[in-house]
Amino acid sequence: MSELTEVTRQQARPGVRLQRCAVAALLALALLLVPLVTNDYTQYVVNSILVYALAAVGFNVVLGYLGQLAFANAAFFGIGAYTVALLMHYAALPFPLALGGSAVTGALVGLVVGLPALRLKGYYLAIVTLVFGELMRWAYVHGGDITKGSGGLPVPEAAMFGVVADTDKAKYYVILAVVAAVIWSTNRILRSRVGRAFVAIRENELACASLGISPGRYKVIAFVWSGLVVAVAGGLFAILLGRISPESFNLHQLLLHFAIVMIGGIGSLVGSIMGAVLLTAAPEILRNFPGLEEIIFSLLLIAVLLFLPRGLAGLAARLVPALKERLYRE
Amino acid sequence: MALLSIKGVTVKFSGLTALSDVSFDIEPGRVHAVIGPNGAGKSTLFNVITGYISMTEGEVWFEGQKLNGLRPHTIACRGMRRTFQNGGIFAEMTVLENVLTGLAQVTASSIAGLAVGMPAAYRAEMAAMRRACDLMRLMGISELADRPAKDLSSGQQRLVEITRALATEARLLLLDEPAVGLSVQDRENLMAVLRKLAARGVALLLVEHSIDLVMAISDRIVVLNHGQVIADGEPAEIRTHDAVLEAYLGRN
Repeated sequence: MSELTEVTRQQARPGVRLQRCAVAALLALALLLVPLVTNDYTQYVVNSILVYALAAVGFNVVLGYLGQLAFANAAFFGIGAYTVALLMHYAALPFPLALGGSAVTGALVGLVVGLPALRLKGYYLAIVTLVFGELMRWAYVHGGDITKGSGGLPVPEAAMFGVVADTDKAKYYVILAVVAAVIWSTNRILRSRVGRAFVAIRENELACASLGISPGRYKVIAFVWSGLVVAVAGGLFAILLGRISPESFNLHQLLLHFAIVMIGGIGSLVGSIMGAVLLTAAPEILRNFPGLEEIIFSLLLIAVLLFLPRGLAGLAARLVPALKERLYRE
Repeated sequence: MALLSIKGVTVKFSGLTALSDVSFDIEPGRVHAVIGPNGAGKSTLFNVITGYISMTEGEVWFEGQKLNGLRPHTIACRGMRRTFQNGGIFAEMTVLENVLTGLAQVTASSIAGLAVGMPAAYRAEMAAMRRACDLMRLMGISELADRPAKDLSSGQQRLVEITRALATEARLLLLDEPAVGLSVQDRENLMAVLRKLAARGVALLLVEHSIDLVMAISDRIVVLNHGQVIADGEPAEIRTHDAVLEAYLGRN
């Protein structure tokens, strides 16, 4: 077949790469300069956006790409947060190691949650994963002296490379670096044979097996990666709050992650980021309209779900075709 | 040596016998067809060969290896691929993404390599991309590369599915009613593609209701009725075979 080898696709479009690099560089610069225009409060909101964006990206791997109704996201998030808090509080581990610990724990819990997903589908998987989340919350409440029950655990200040992140602006750079790196990795994995296998399972599991792809293997891989990403987000959440308690990881937390994925756009990484911006920032902005806050917010969500089935990312891709996400790299 | 040997395969579903002692061989690089009335067991035969259902008795051998008990994805990796009667395509993916998915087995990018951005992982992905582009050219679907599969005509979807199935070096391709619902033009196109594949050395086994198509391209035809092989031979023999005329083709 070698006589047919054609010019590869990226060579056919030389300008695109340069353009994308320029956009990425500008975006990076803008992100680095954010603390120049924020105060303590707005910086805290920006930090929350980053953490929720990462949690939603991890959720989207299983929900949007793999297409499985698994609702263990708040559990992964809480496990990551508690792992970081426990490792820093009791073992006095430095923050980077504690965060690494939460990544490993998250991956292992992802594996455990992924195994039932090999047998269960749809509502059955949904209910099992929901119950798992509630079980974890019960464990935090009844964790005695270890988790300090409903009162929660204090999280020591994070230090990285000798610099203590004791203000929201300092935390921002820590959170930004981790979130950017993990989303970058996730993007690389999704836009490869691995991400294509996830989506192929979502689209047609039987046909997927006929192409030599083991659905079971890739389901487990998706859950492991999702668990890792969301647990890292949880670890950052612990740093952001400075104190974690069981109530932070209840159904309300899960619902927020779910809404971010759905409103941003299911099966879209950019969508999860856009969803996190909207659902984290909008309630804060709407506080200026007391009384109308809930009404406007609810109407906004209903409108997006009714008129934009692929969420904000779907709308963006319709307006700017270059934003359409592909399952390969060029 | 036969590429695929089906030896005394019997499949029973809670008392009902779907296939009864079916045996035949498939030779490398030839076009084979299975025909028969509805309910004759054609789809069951496909599913049992490709590992989607397990057989009650009998054996299936591919390239000298026994396939009994292997999972569908393992069998696919051995070099035997199939298409589905309807809806085998990944509708939300583009044509290029569909074809790339078929190359998963030969895309050697490690997950860790992808996650940390190793050049080797990127190179493996790009090699798959080049291969996918070659395949789409060979099958005449390059123009459709960036179209979502769900937007294509059924003839185009059928071609995408075949391209995807062939992405790795399959030696045997099983096609489940590839011509159903196609226009005359698409059907001609499909026949040309199937002939091209056979000429490249890919053995084909098709289940098909269109007798004209089957007679035109098959080297050998197996006729099933009530789960049993009632005839096995070249098209000319089948056309005049008494039992086949009785059960399926009709006299006149």
